[in-house]
Amino acid sequence: MTHKATKIVIITEKLILEKVKRVIEAAGATGYTIVAAGGKGSRGVRASGRAAVVDAFTNVKVEVITANREAAVKIADEVAARFFGDYSGITYLENVEILRPDKF
Amino acid sequence: MPRRLKPRSNVIDLVLDFLARLLVQFQSPALAFLIGGMLLAAARSKLEIPDAIYKFCVFMLLMRIGLEGGLEIREAELVDMLLPAILAMVIGCGIVLLGRVVLAALPGVKVEDALATAGLFGAVSASTLAAAMVMLEEQEVFYEAWVPALYPFMDVPALIVAIVLANVYFAKKENGARTKVRIWPIVRDSLRGSALSALLLGLALGLFTHPQIVYEGFYDPLFRGLLSVLMLIMGMEAYTRLNELRKVAHWYAVYAAAAPLAHGLIAFGLGYVAHILTGFSPGGVVLLAVMAGSSSDISGPPTLRAGIPSANPSAYVGSSTSVGTPIAIAVGIPLYIALAQAVFGL
Repeated sequence: MTHKATKIVIITEKLILEKVKRVIEAAGATGYTIVAAGGKGSRGVRASGRAAVVDAFTNVKVEVITANREAAVKIADEVAARFFGDYSGITYLENVEILRPDKF
Repeated sequence: MPRRLKPRSNVIDLVLDFLARLLVQFQSPALAFLIGGMLLAAARSKLEIPDAIYKFCVFMLLMRIGLEGGLEIREAELVDMLLPAILAMVIGCGIVLLGRVVLAALPGVKVEDALATAGLFGAVSASTLAAAMVMLEEQEVFYEAWVPALYPFMDVPALIVAIVLANVYFAKKENGARTKVRIWPIVRDSLRGSALSALLLGLALGLFTHPQIVYEGFYDPLFRGLLSVLMLIMGMEAYTRLNELRKVAHWYAVYAAAAPLAHGLIAFGLGYVAHILTGFSPGGVVLLAVMAGSSSDISGPPTLRAGIPSANPSAYVGSSTSVGTPIAIAVGIPLYIALAQAVFGL
């Protein structure tokens, strides 16, 4: 038996990771997953794995799953409003199906 | 009149001697690996040095610098360190003020970008400093081992001045009340950075414990080899980031090429004064010039990005990594060493 939930994906600079985590936790999400990310966007190509002399400019992908859709929208809106003027990043929501709803 | 002739031939001798010495410096392995890295990147080589190795190299270099400095400070007279430390701070702040006046006035350059760039050039590159130490050792030029430990005295003030000036500028532009810049978080972030953490830990271990065995058996012998790997990475990064510099005003390239040598020569002059006043060693004068001429690659960019978020990182990281650092290493270091050999008659 699965349950509906919302996943927020935030791909942004490692430099602001701590601040993004605070936004997520303030919105009431109970957990998140962070992986190193690389790719191409409006601000150029970001490599992953290769030696990066400026480590803090490499990208990360943060995934948050929450059963509360309003909290999900709040996280996405707040991250975009606070950071994406000065820092590179994208964010999007996905509908997902989860097992064990008590975990979220 | 013989009195006139003699100095003239001396000057010619001095110049020829200087050029010959400069040529020798260019064959140093540190430079060779830097240029090799650039060539590899230009040839689109698939060679990749993993990020973890890069971080380890940086740690090893700064730990070695810290340990050696700490061991030496025990025996050094603290008074001898005072004037060079003050000079380091003055130079760090002076470079940023100079950049605020010169770079910010150039066409197509935004004030916040100029301040971030000047802050980065005022801050210090650990890899450039390490390359200079190895080249001085190759030439058997003596320097006090505590000189590299002056690094934070130049680095941290430069970053603070750049961020404070940027905030003053924003406040004036918006005609609003000046937002107060909190200095402590900038200092804390700089000190927590990977490079300065390793340096400070090394200093403390050298001062308060007896790390001679690990220093002689591990950190010191590996220093040169790891530096060559680091130089390779810097060369590859320099070439890769050239593209970013193309996106911003050409004046950044001009500043990035001229500023390292201008800053280095000013510091050389100030170091020379310290040499006369307190007997600061010729090698120390060279290292002070190298620190002034270098631009931060590890700790500076994230601190500035956090402190002046609206400044364009392509402008300051591009200027520093792709032009400033190669010039500081390939032209600056040989220039100051040759100059020291000519001036101090080594």
